[in-house]
Amino acid sequence: MKKGYLRFFAMALMLAIIIAAAGCGGNTEQAQETRKNVLKVSMGLAEEEWKVMKEDIFPAFEEKYGIKIEPYQMEAGDTVKKLEAMHQAGAMDIDLITQDNMQLAPLVDKGLVEDLSSYRDMIPKEVIPALIPVGEFDGKLYFMPYRPNVEIAFYNEKKFDEYGLKPPTNWDELLEVAKTFKEKEGVGRVVIKQNLGPDSTIHMFDLIRSAGGDPTVLNDEGSVRAFTFLKELQPYLSPECKKADWNTPNQFLATESAYLVQNWPFTSVVVVRDGGKKEIKAYNGWRGPVKESHVLGGEVIGIPKGAPNKDMAVKFMEYLMSKEVQEKLTSKLGWPSMRTDAYGKVEDWQKPYFDAVSEALKHAEPRPNLTYWADVDKAVNGALREIIFEGKDIRATLDKYHNMIEQAKKAAGN
Amino acid sequence: MKRIDYSEKLSNYLYLPVAVLAMIAMIIPVYILFKVSVSSPQEIMTAHPSFLIKKFTLEHWKAIFKSGNLWAPLSKSFTVATMTTLIAIIIAAPAAYVIARMPSKAKYAVVLSLFLLRMFPEVAIALSISVQFLKWNLIDTNTGLVMAHLILNLPFAAWILVGTFETIPKGLEEAALVDGAGKVEALLKIIMPLAIPGIAVAAIFVWLNSWNEFTYALYLTMSKRTLPLQTYYYVVRGGWFDAATYGTILMIPVLMVTFLLQRYMKGGYLSGAVKG
Repeated sequence: MKKGYLRFFAMALMLAIIIAAAGCGGNTEQAQETRKNVLKVSMGLAEEEWKVMKEDIFPAFEEKYGIKIEPYQMEAGDTVKKLEAMHQAGAMDIDLITQDNMQLAPLVDKGLVEDLSSYRDMIPKEVIPALIPVGEFDGKLYFMPYRPNVEIAFYNEKKFDEYGLKPPTNWDELLEVAKTFKEKEGVGRVVIKQNLGPDSTIHMFDLIRSAGGDPTVLNDEGSVRAFTFLKELQPYLSPECKKADWNTPNQFLATESAYLVQNWPFTSVVVVRDGGKKEIKAYNGWRGPVKESHVLGGEVIGIPKGAPNKDMAVKFMEYLMSKEVQEKLTSKLGWPSMRTDAYGKVEDWQKPYFDAVSEALKHAEPRPNLTYWADVDKAVNGALREIIFEGKDIRATLDKYHNMIEQAKKAAGN
Repeated sequence: MKRIDYSEKLSNYLYLPVAVLAMIAMIIPVYILFKVSVSSPQEIMTAHPSFLIKKFTLEHWKAIFKSGNLWAPLSKSFTVATMTTLIAIIIAAPAAYVIARMPSKAKYAVVLSLFLLRMFPEVAIALSISVQFLKWNLIDTNTGLVMAHLILNLPFAAWILVGTFETIPKGLEEAALVDGAGKVEALLKIIMPLAIPGIAVAAIFVWLNSWNEFTYALYLTMSKRTLPLQTYYYVVRGGWFDAATYGTILMIPVLMVTFLLQRYMKGGYLSGAVKG
């Protein structure tokens, strides 16, 4: 008898777990109807940025179309994971994403985003031209321009004044500044990102391009010139270079282990506005022997494949690119606009940093959207490691990595 | 002539200093986290930050309490961790008891099979598991996260408890049966109370694992974030003070739960249980 009860209890427990797992089943028609009135939007924003979205950007669109925008916080690195899971489950629940333009290739490779080529005419004529190729892969348009961004040079004004230095505007001055800090303090205070990851790739792109080279070729004269200069500069650089990514420069500047470093503009918010270090100033940076060049960063708009409310997402995409929205984003958040005709007045404290970004954007170049991008990334960092850290011959090493890129190019069918 | 046992002497002398050093090594990072959360930015963002707190401020704490982004993640994490622990113990304890009473060879095979899923890195299986859970509409639900956390924790809980039940002499059970108790009664009234220290260890382990779990929470969460995800959000955004405050908050329930459960972790509970 007791055995019977025990068995019954065990069966009931199993049944309860299975019922809970089944999760109370699929969508009802009513739920699908309700979903049509909801636009699910995913963005990776800070709290103050969400506040502006919810109070100044979303309401006008919601009112116009009689829908509700449901915002979701999704960091750029997590977007691929989440969309992939939804895509594989056949349960896509996001209608529109804004995504870091450095992390687009996986979304296209895995077939997670819609081809937006048929909406190309939607791009405003006033857009900064360099922003369009960012969203193109193999001639198809997968992403719309939304928010340009670029690294600027942050420097410690007090320290520069102390040693009678001016922020460097070219390679010779950069070398001189680095030498002076090393001489005066016994340790390098200038940071070039050398973490052998995506961050060092950006800095190498800037160096190579500003010497007239092509980082996707890697053994041309410009690349040789860039690596030759970096080798000369290396002894005077900060030991923090190997740890420098998108985030650590904030710490270097705040704790004064570095006095000059190029980083994304959010450094001004973290170090100057929140940290109160007003001596940290910014400018557009330095030019190379041929030109000034900065990798074009920022965000683009995409629509996930299988988005339940695609038509509304397209309308929202157009709205985000409108002059009205772009001006609000500039005024309220200090974001540079994707449009040449959108002007906004930024807060006083932010103005010098915004001006630095605007100036740097004039020299911004998009990263090429290559299907074999991962190989280019590996090659650039492999060359950096062998030439700078291991002291190998520049030309021979660059030839080796050039061949590696060429093989990847062939394998990709280009 | 009496021989001096040098190893015993050495361990007697070194025990305390080593224990203190280990304690300091564990406490210092926690202290620094707390210090950042109660210091002004000017005190931290300097070339030589002081070790001791100079200007105590609750500004970062106030900001987080005011933000409205604390209670929902805290509540979700606590609910999921507690539910996972309860279900894991309810399932693993009887299972572990049965495994412990199996013949040695069979027992070894079963315990090994429990860990089959744990042989793969979490990130490798998280996607396929998440896809299945998404099909079941378990995204953003506590049920989904509890189930995902059970996948991780059940094998460990069972493994810990198998070891616990193995140490309980079978003679105690047999004595209870001779005295007229049924099998279930013997299990609930004799075996389980003796297994409490092991159950407490398993519960602490499961609770902490679930409380800190990140990968599945990331896949299975859209809007209702857990506390580790909320902390991660501030880390990614570069907000040191918010991240430090959330990190400190993340630790408080851990300390409380560990303190509550460690009372049950007593040694020597079986001494004299069975007369030879």
